[in-house]
Amino acid sequence: MSGTALTVPPPPRLLATFKSQVSRLPLLLLLIDTAGAIGFAGGLAGAVAALAAGSTQVAGWIALMLGAGVVRGAATMLSVRAGARDAAGVKAGLRRDVVSALFRPLAGQGTTGAILASAVDEVEMVDGYIARFLPARQAATIAPIVVGAAVALASPVAALILIGTLFPFIAAMVLAGGAAAAESRHQFDALAQLSVRFADRVRALPVIRAFGAERRETDGIADAADAVARRTMRVLRVAFLSSASLEFFAALSVALVAVYAGFNVLGLLPAFVPEHLTLGRAFFVLALAPEFYAPMRRLAAAYHDRQAAETATTRLDAVIAGQAPPAAAWTYAGDAPPRLTFDAITLRYPGMDVAAVSDFSLDIAPGEIVALVGRSGCGKSSLLHYVLGLVPAAAGSLAIDGIVLPPRANLAPHTAWSGQTPLLLTGTIADNIAVSDPTAARWRIEDAAIRAGLAPALATRADGIDTLLDATGSGLSGGERRRIGLARAILKPAPVLLLDEPTAHLNSAAEAALIATIRYACIGRTVLIATHSPALAAMADRIIPMDRA
Amino acid sequence: MTPDTPTDLASVLHRATLAHRRDLRRAAFCAVAVAAATVSLLGLSGWFLTGAAVAASLGLGHVFNYMLPAVAIRFMAIVRTAARYGERISGHDAALRMMARVRPALFAALAGASPIRTKRFSTGEASARLVQDVTAIEAAIVRRSARWSLVGASVSAGALALLGGWAPLVAVGATVVATITLGDWIARLGAAPARAALVANGNLKDMVSRYGAAAAELRCYGLEARAVADVADHGATLSIAHRASAAAVSWLDFVQSSAVSVAAGAAFVLAMPAGAPIAALAALAAAMGVDGAAPFLRDLAQRASVRTATERLDEILLQPDVADPPALGAAPQERDLALAVFGRVRFQPSERVAIIGRSGCGKTSLVETLLGLRQAKRGAVRIGGVDLLDIAPRQLSTIFALAPQDARLLAGTVRDNLLLADPLADEARLWGALHDAALEERIRALPLGLDSWIGEDGACLSGGERRRLSLARALVSRAPWLVLDEPTEGLDPATERTVLARIAARLDATGQGALIVTHSARVRDLCDTVADMTPPAATQPFETV
Repeated sequence: MSGTALTVPPPPRLLATFKSQVSRLPLLLLLIDTAGAIGFAGGLAGAVAALAAGSTQVAGWIALMLGAGVVRGAATMLSVRAGARDAAGVKAGLRRDVVSALFRPLAGQGTTGAILASAVDEVEMVDGYIARFLPARQAATIAPIVVGAAVALASPVAALILIGTLFPFIAAMVLAGGAAAAESRHQFDALAQLSVRFADRVRALPVIRAFGAERRETDGIADAADAVARRTMRVLRVAFLSSASLEFFAALSVALVAVYAGFNVLGLLPAFVPEHLTLGRAFFVLALAPEFYAPMRRLAAAYHDRQAAETATTRLDAVIAGQAPPAAAWTYAGDAPPRLTFDAITLRYPGMDVAAVSDFSLDIAPGEIVALVGRSGCGKSSLLHYVLGLVPAAAGSLAIDGIVLPPRANLAPHTAWSGQTPLLLTGTIADNIAVSDPTAARWRIEDAAIRAGLAPALATRADGIDTLLDATGSGLSGGERRRIGLARAILKPAPVLLLDEPTAHLNSAAEAALIATIRYACIGRTVLIATHSPALAAMADRIIPMDRA
Repeated sequence: MTPDTPTDLASVLHRATLAHRRDLRRAAFCAVAVAAATVSLLGLSGWFLTGAAVAASLGLGHVFNYMLPAVAIRFMAIVRTAARYGERISGHDAALRMMARVRPALFAALAGASPIRTKRFSTGEASARLVQDVTAIEAAIVRRSARWSLVGASVSAGALALLGGWAPLVAVGATVVATITLGDWIARLGAAPARAALVANGNLKDMVSRYGAAAAELRCYGLEARAVADVADHGATLSIAHRASAAAVSWLDFVQSSAVSVAAGAAFVLAMPAGAPIAALAALAAAMGVDGAAPFLRDLAQRASVRTATERLDEILLQPDVADPPALGAAPQERDLALAVFGRVRFQPSERVAIIGRSGCGKTSLVETLLGLRQAKRGAVRIGGVDLLDIAPRQLSTIFALAPQDARLLAGTVRDNLLLADPLADEARLWGALHDAALEERIRALPLGLDSWIGEDGACLSGGERRRLSLARALVSRAPWLVLDEPTEGLDPATERTVLARIAARLDATGQGALIVTHSARVRDLCDTVADMTPPAATQPFETV
């Protein structure tokens, strides 16, 4: 059922960039773990050889074993922590990129917040890849060489046996089709498919309910789960063969080394075998043999981390890729309300087949108030966002007092804004108002609050304008929030004012009260209002219908 | 649909366990075999090697029975491989099949619950978390064999250690018990930072979506840097919690590696009186015995998150049953499906009604109320003389066919989506509906036609095509009322004209009535009646939530 209609996505660009961002510390610690394994084998071999020789003085060897064990434990533990630290660093960088994506258009306009919130989860999904997979992959190429070298010091033939098992192992991995990777991928994909269908039907529950199809869809989910279970098991039966071959060669290498070393010390080997092992050397080799394949098994265990990161970064790529180029520095000198001229503007969101605004022209006189009206989705808000440089124009231009804005420049520094849900920040009401002009003196902030009609709201609160707000603005009414937004707009000495549905979802009495405040905020400014409300539109000098129909 | 008596996740899993106990037992048996073979392979190798050396040093090399141990060692290597394969296959098989019961049970519980309660799952966020929880349970089932690895490893290590006397056996047992006890304690310590990380993650997401909705304000007031810094701050809090949790769990690695060498050292020293070969055997068996506890320790570390997932899923499975099964589901008379909305307006069967009004005035809410997706007020809506509240939800879905504002397509084929409206519809009816939604040519051009996969929420289609497929789906239904929420929004004028003309012809032919929420003048022209929904808020026909 997977998407034949979909194209295979390119390998995530992001994933490749992580490798250069991690430190060598986790790898180094994993190699210390390998050194600990060598120490442990040495201690055990020394103790066994001493005992076999009739001595009971094994305390030193035992101490070496215990010490090596503690070193291994500490190294593994620290490697996990160092990996977590590296991952934290990479994730911080990714989060920065995600926030920057705020300031460029994403397909499906209204859902920017939701897209970004899920990006936060996707950032978390790269954790295992950086913390576990990358160090394990590096260790898997180096640690077997270290183990092989240590074995070779005691018995070159045993080292050759270990290395010898590598060739059929690699051949088996190739035959099993990409080895652990394939296994992990099939398993991951199969489970993901089930999850997709389940999540999809849960999301679509309202429409399923509307068609009375609950029972049918429940059965459908059960059937799909059964079918996927059956099909997946067919795939896994083959796919697990690759991990079985890893298992087999790990076990085989131990068995071969044990049998070889045993026959060697017994002196039962043909004369051309060039070495004769002591018990100590033989035992050292045996105790170390399992460590030869251990790094590869560790890597196989971390493979699903890579799979998860691949899925996540494919989606993150779409959010982060094509970072908006930095806005061009451009300033317009003048405090007087300017003339704004939109000339044949076309705005199009990425991935949408219909332009949000097409071929829109409008000339706004200095100080004029213009209301853009029309149904939702007709492009009113897009046009306001364009003025701020949040949506690039596919065609057309904007001129301010006859000067055409250079590409990538925007009017944000000269503009005040108020919408239907002002952003609230942790801090006092005064702090929240002052964001639009951080240099404003206290009296100006208070003045803006009063002019925005906040006086009655402040009077009912013990701390007045110094009342602390949390980021959700609990305790504020919808009207009060908007008035804080308006106070911001009033405070900023900007000659252009943009209002995006400032009275939506208010009842008519509250709307009428707010319109009086808005009227004040418009004084001495060139104003563009996007609205559905006839009452608000009525205060404009001119009403421009945006419906194309 | 009403589910049977509510059952919690534990009992759903218990029933599934009973049904798949053969697979689970096989996985457990294989896990024991893997652990025992691993322990014996190394223990036996150590004994064989040391024994051979001792025999050789005594000049008895030629009488040393090397064939049996050499064969046994190779046998263990094969057993280990085969048993590991069996463990993984059986474990995954059981997990997949058990989850094939859990998912439908969850879905049935969600579908049977009151729509108001489950509405939150229609966001990607909530459904994603639900999926994460289900996945966590699935992984926990796969890990069930970990305890059997522990049993197999410690029992076989104990048995081999016993060859050296009681003392090495006690050493192995004590080390395993101490390791598990410490592991359990560490897992508990790790639970608090893991929970903190979850909370921090939620806060970060809230913040990002709040900022995401306020890009214009941030840009306008030069707050971009502050937004970046705030997100970095919250991200740092998350990272600290995350690292604290990783640091706590990393103690498991320390305990495990140290325990391996402690067990080996103790078993060796205590088995020394039994001679070098047995001491070597005891030491290696003890090391591998403790090593076999590793999967179980990993399972311990996941226990807290599995518990959280279980609690959240239980919330869904155990939610009190819908309050609405109305008294025996009064059925309105087939003949008279006249619609009365808050006493003011009456729509006759076969009437075409345009519902207009500025956005936010409750047009979509009215649609949801009619379909039982939103709590109605008593007396507000009567269908064929029966109050909406007295009509069973199942009945409502046979009266109305919905094309919602957000197309809401299923991840599946075109056919899957169309058949949702009527599973018995034949091929001709499906194509007829597609034709009337001006989508027939597009679908015919696809290589698989009706069986083309359209992706998640119609990702393979354009915005306009999604909307038209949703419209076609409603047209497949033979319900007496079509409820179309902004059916032509986003369509170009030519397509809109085509679609409207075909809908009009279809309504003429079928005699169905239509309630069409719209802003479009062209749609209004199609209708007999225009109902303006901009009333004072108090007369809304639904409860405001």
